[in-house]
Amino acid sequence: MTGHVPTLVARTISVGETRDLGAALAGLAQPGDLVLLVGDLGAGKTAFAQGFGAGLGVTEPITSPTFTLAQEYSGRLRVHHLDVYRLGDLAEVAELALAELLDDGGVVLIEWGDAILPVLPHDYLEVRLAFATGPDADDDERRVVLRSVGPTWAARQVSLLHVVAPWAEAPSAPGAPADGGSTC
Amino acid sequence: MLILGITTSTDQVGCAIGGHEGVLAQVQSCRGRRHAESLAPSIDLLRRLARVELDEIGCVAVDVGPGLYTGLRVGIATGKAMAHALRVPMVGVVSLDLVAFAVRWSPRLVVAAIDARRGELFTATYRQVPGGIQRLSDHDVASPVDLAVDLEASGEDVLLVGDGALRYREVFAELDRVEVGDQGLAHPSAASLVQLAHAKALREDFVQQWDLEPLYLRRPDAEINWTTRDGLIGGVARGGAAGGTPD
Repeated sequence: MTGHVPTLVARTISVGETRDLGAALAGLAQPGDLVLLVGDLGAGKTAFAQGFGAGLGVTEPITSPTFTLAQEYSGRLRVHHLDVYRLGDLAEVAELALAELLDDGGVVLIEWGDAILPVLPHDYLEVRLAFATGPDADDDERRVVLRSVGPTWAARQVSLLHVVAPWAEAPSAPGAPADGGSTC
Repeated sequence: MLILGITTSTDQVGCAIGGHEGVLAQVQSCRGRRHAESLAPSIDLLRRLARVELDEIGCVAVDVGPGLYTGLRVGIATGKAMAHALRVPMVGVVSLDLVAFAVRWSPRLVVAAIDARRGELFTATYRQVPGGIQRLSDHDVASPVDLAVDLEASGEDVLLVGDGALRYREVFAELDRVEVGDQGLAHPSAASLVQLAHAKALREDFVQQWDLEPLYLRRPDAEINWTTRDGLIGGVARGGAAGGTPD
């Protein structure tokens, strides 16, 4: 169970592209999926969630759940969009009914989800959005690292590789793993 | 004294009204986990069926869980609001005790198992005593397999009841001495709640609405490691260059 975590790196150059990447990944979503959205304020977590929801056929507007904590949308699958940013301890996370949401046959997206790993199953896709760095980096450019932790996303690694291909970071970029889709 | 009972800890939404003359009316539904949408109309229907005005209610009893967080939130908030508005005391009863109480005539070891989601059960063990049923163990969280091992090791005839027992019935089917109670016994009954609450009310074993808390058995006792977020609040800007925290 431990060891190699299949990882892909993408680069988006606008908020629209971050949404598009989310929508493309939503095409792979299955009932019970857990997706953690990780990154600084303004990195594009909610934009990614908006695209992901649209990709699942959610028609109502998806807004940041920072103040409502949890929101539910209906699409091809039900989407539970959570944000744990305002929470202080793990008991409060449990009170968001996390166990029930994960058991609900929908998809659970959690912003800042990396902060609550002790109460999450070891089976999720981590989407880590970072502001691009470097001399040529634009304000709207993002580096997106996708890590398939646990069996359910790792099993979809080849599909993930195809879906992410339009945004795949050039292999020469520092930190991009050469073995991105080599598992399976 | 008339008691209003509310149960919401499983997929079933239930309410009942009763008192010393027994249970006057009960309303329950179990479809699509719509606690918030179902409960208030259910109570209104219940009140009309029982031909009771709300101001005749002298106590509000609630099922405090363990069970569905989403359901308990609705049931307990509604119960507290009604107790507050009616200026009456409350009684809280544990969901597992309610499930076991419904089979209190069985001479077998009674084990209540409510679905805790994510492959776990809330569970407790009971035995018949004169006039009721007595809990032998603390309320606990266990996997179905662990519970099956415990039941096998007990060497007793067991009646296993609750929605969790039904969900994992194939795990328990292999055990010779364990029988799983059917769908009609799977959820905490609001009628049982009213009966148990009536006994407590006679002893004036009340709780005030501001003191009543849900029973969350699976409650992690730790703070969130917010090094990332607090770094941001502290003014570390983009890129995460400063701070040096590994995550």
